[in-house]
Amino acid sequence: MTVLALAGVSRWYGNVVAVNDVSFEVGPGITGLLGPNGAGKTTLLHLMAGFLAPSAGTVDLDGTPTWRHPEVYRGIGFVPEREAFYPFLTARQFVEASARLSGVADPRAATERAIATVGLADAADRGMSGYSKGMRQRAKVAAALVHDPPTLILDEPFNGMDPRQRLSMMDLLRAMAADGRTILFSSHILEEVERLSDRVLVVVAGRLAAAGDFRRIRRLMTDRPHQFTLRSSDDRRLAVELMAAPDVESVELRDGRLTLRTADYGALTRGIASAARRAGVTLYELRPADESLESVFSYLVRR
Amino acid sequence: MTAALVSLTFRALLNRRRTLLLAALGGLLVLVAGIFRLGDPSTAEATRFTGRLAADFGLAVLLPLVTVIVGTAAVGSELDDGTIVYLLARPLPRWLIVLVKLAVTWLVATLLVAVPILIGGLVGTAGDSEIGIGYAVAAALGALEYAAVFLALSLVTSRALVVGLAYVVVWEGVVAGLFAGTRIVSVRQHALAVGDAIVGEGAVSAELALSVALLIGGAVVVLATALAIRRLTMVELRGETG
Repeated sequence: MTVLALAGVSRWYGNVVAVNDVSFEVGPGITGLLGPNGAGKTTLLHLMAGFLAPSAGTVDLDGTPTWRHPEVYRGIGFVPEREAFYPFLTARQFVEASARLSGVADPRAATERAIATVGLADAADRGMSGYSKGMRQRAKVAAALVHDPPTLILDEPFNGMDPRQRLSMMDLLRAMAADGRTILFSSHILEEVERLSDRVLVVVAGRLAAAGDFRRIRRLMTDRPHQFTLRSSDDRRLAVELMAAPDVESVELRDGRLTLRTADYGALTRGIASAARRAGVTLYELRPADESLESVFSYLVRR
Repeated sequence: MTAALVSLTFRALLNRRRTLLLAALGGLLVLVAGIFRLGDPSTAEATRFTGRLAADFGLAVLLPLVTVIVGTAAVGSELDDGTIVYLLARPLPRWLIVLVKLAVTWLVATLLVAVPILIGGLVGTAGDSEIGIGYAVAAALGALEYAAVFLALSLVTSRALVVGLAYVVVWEGVVAGLFAGTRIVSVRQHALAVGDAIVGEGAVSAELALSVALLIGGAVVVLATALAIRRLTMVELRGETG
């Protein structure tokens, strides 16, 4: 079992604080690192992968500092966000070189395995300069997992992938997590993060704004109003009925769409059906309007 | 692991179009020696001309030009295009990366400079091997010193090519010509001293004693390599977006 631990980690560039007193541990399973652009996600991943020195605090992989300890890379696979590749290598050569640089016992076999895992076998003998962004991304992932590392760190791994490739990459990461690996990735594809991660770390302006299960984080923010959109046989009558309900903060009927806000998620979902019956209205649809990570983000950023 | 690093470095250096251009410059040296030979010169003339060609073009132009381009690219281009991450994310000691890069750079520079000088020397003097061998050995040793300096330079500044060229043109070309005392820290003068010691009656008489040149040159190689290792250990990768 591998644990990547950050304790009181800060990183500044001159006067600019990129990461500010962050502490958390990442263990087996899939952890998603989320935050708006410029929040310090890449800085944090680079600190964890040992490519940046912490200005304060410690970053350890199973007790060994990752900075200036190249031997930790026997246990880490890293997929950079940057679109960097050797233009003179085919994907197979690139992955095999990575295997050899990691001192893998049977580099050829490991290469074939990694290439098959990312589904690149048909194109593996083509030069990477002719690849699409998604194919290069898969080649980078193959190189990162060719030495079978227990920890995988991926910076925006879904960048440039089409929806089908995204799904297969998600399946791949799930399968690797099921093997007991520690997987940490950053992404701005919020919907997929929500579907993929067991655990979410939310970074805002260099600080760890929240850590834990996404839905639990969402529930914990009790002071945050929940918003629903409704469709019914008579939105106007339903709005009148709902305005009288104690948990409802506001009701809005605009452009034929009924939106309501409540501070009590549970009370509303339990009471909405009887409110509709009292008004003599048929309820067609009740949809939480803001259960996406994007809205959680913007809420955290505003706070 | 080391073999993979060697092969990757070789491919990266040899796949650049610049390297082919540099090989063409080496070919030019051989071509000039051959054209000179066609004029059927006397032995003394041939020795003088070929010696000047090897020293003034081979050691003074070709050698620094090749080493500054190849030496600053060995690590510098990987830092520029971001592929350095694929080496840094592997369990390779940083000193090994630097030593392999240095060795490969040295070998490539020797192939591109010392070999044309050797062939040019043989062609120009119709088989008298002394000049060719003397200046080829000088070029090979000079290539090691230049390579170590320019490799370290590429880890100190992102404008290593410009700074390196400025060193070659301004310091070695102008300052060392005006102030004799500065020649002690001129790689070209170190190489010339070696060539002169082997050729004996050299076409260009060296300003430094062989022992001084070897001692200073050796110290420069060791110090520059140590600096390069230290700098690579401290290299940090920053994100593009934060």
